[in-house]
Amino acid sequence: MITQDSVQESQNNKKAKQNIEQRKAIPNRYRFIYPEFLPDPDPKYRNLLREKLERMDMLARRTHVAIPEFYVGSVLAVTYSEPHAPGKVNKFVGICIERKGSGLRATCVLRNMVNNQGIEVIYELYDPAIQKIECLRLERRLDSHLRYLRDAPAEYSTFPFDMEPEYLLEGASVPVNEIKVQLNPRPWLEKWERQELKGITELQLPERRIRKAKAAATPWEKYDLMKKYRETIPEEDQNEIFNEVHTKLHEVEITRHRQKHKRAFVRPQKTG
Amino acid sequence: MNQANVENLVNKLRYNVKPRRKFGNSDGPEGRLRKFQKTLTALIKYERLELNYRRADETRGYVDQLIFEAIRHGPEHKETMDLANFWILEKQLMHKLFKVLVPRYQNYTTSFTKLHKAPNIYPTIHYDRAILELRGNIYPSVEQYNQYEQNLLHNLLLNAAKKEFRMEKYKEIADNIKQ
Repeated sequence: MITQDSVQESQNNKKAKQNIEQRKAIPNRYRFIYPEFLPDPDPKYRNLLREKLERMDMLARRTHVAIPEFYVGSVLAVTYSEPHAPGKVNKFVGICIERKGSGLRATCVLRNMVNNQGIEVIYELYDPAIQKIECLRLERRLDSHLRYLRDAPAEYSTFPFDMEPEYLLEGASVPVNEIKVQLNPRPWLEKWERQELKGITELQLPERRIRKAKAAATPWEKYDLMKKYRETIPEEDQNEIFNEVHTKLHEVEITRHRQKHKRAFVRPQKTG
Repeated sequence: MNQANVENLVNKLRYNVKPRRKFGNSDGPEGRLRKFQKTLTALIKYERLELNYRRADETRGYVDQLIFEAIRHGPEHKETMDLANFWILEKQLMHKLFKVLVPRYQNYTTSFTKLHKAPNIYPTIHYDRAILELRGNIYPSVEQYNQYEQNLLHNLLLNAAKKEFRMEKYKEIADNIKQ
């Protein structure tokens, strides 16, 4: 019995070591950079074969169009083909206010002001009409979405269309922009006071509205372990998925890195 | 279609997790959790319970996840302590979670709990009953094995066939040695 136990123990130790090695090979940041590679956690929509095929398609698409690392709060420039635009190509610059969807249906919402009017465009990241995605400013915000910019003054979501890309130092962590947005007075599109947002200044609310928000609060939700479990993909499954796509993603990352440092050739234009 | 929430990592549960069940409760989701608090505390205290199947299966996930969190972060982690404080109603059992259950389940590769179907009591209780227990407890096993299994007809025949096959093999080997 003792020998059996010790054998089992050593096996367990081996397994643990393997896990640690695996974790080292797959960077911890992958789940933040590529959240769309993780499937929808709702068991209603799970289909292992479809997920695998989708991942293959996503990787194939990524070898043609570089989809950079970006987060909610980053400023993106998307060049896409549009049949009605002059030159049949259009470019939109804006701040990413929301990331949604998983697999090939992953989307991001870009927001900017055009002619003093708030414009939002939903882009599907793996849309074949997209020709180029650039991250002009890589940063994060305090919240998981910035929909409240719709109810904020224009200055917070105005970005020039000829914005130059800002580069971060090699190996630097993604900066967090801790700006606090001052919202416009009511009426609002959503009940922002109920969303526990960190990126907005203190709201001026009537007594009644504060009371209602307090009644609708769900402070027990952070203890609901199974709710948390059911809205995420467990660590073991995440490792399995990223193990599968890791080598290909790494290759794509390296080629992109090389291309970034190569100086682009610009054909001189004749003048006069 | 939603995106998976990647903010906090969780361990995979080692049993077939059913979709979220609804329990009739006038206090809403808060009251629902209060039910599980009671069951979870009792399970940690007594290590084996008999209760309704639905409630047992739903509580099982909470127990496993709480132990996973305790293993992952330990008692020094503030959020884990907060979690344990919420879930365990009898505070002396907090020590049991971190000092007894965590060492016991550290190297487990199976679920920390076990769920057995139990007979319902005719004619008073119509609901499916279940026995929920923590693995590695001190009680005798719930599962009953048939002690006359070797005397079943097919097992007798199989054993005889095995014996015959073995004797034939021995004979063959003996013949080979002779030559």
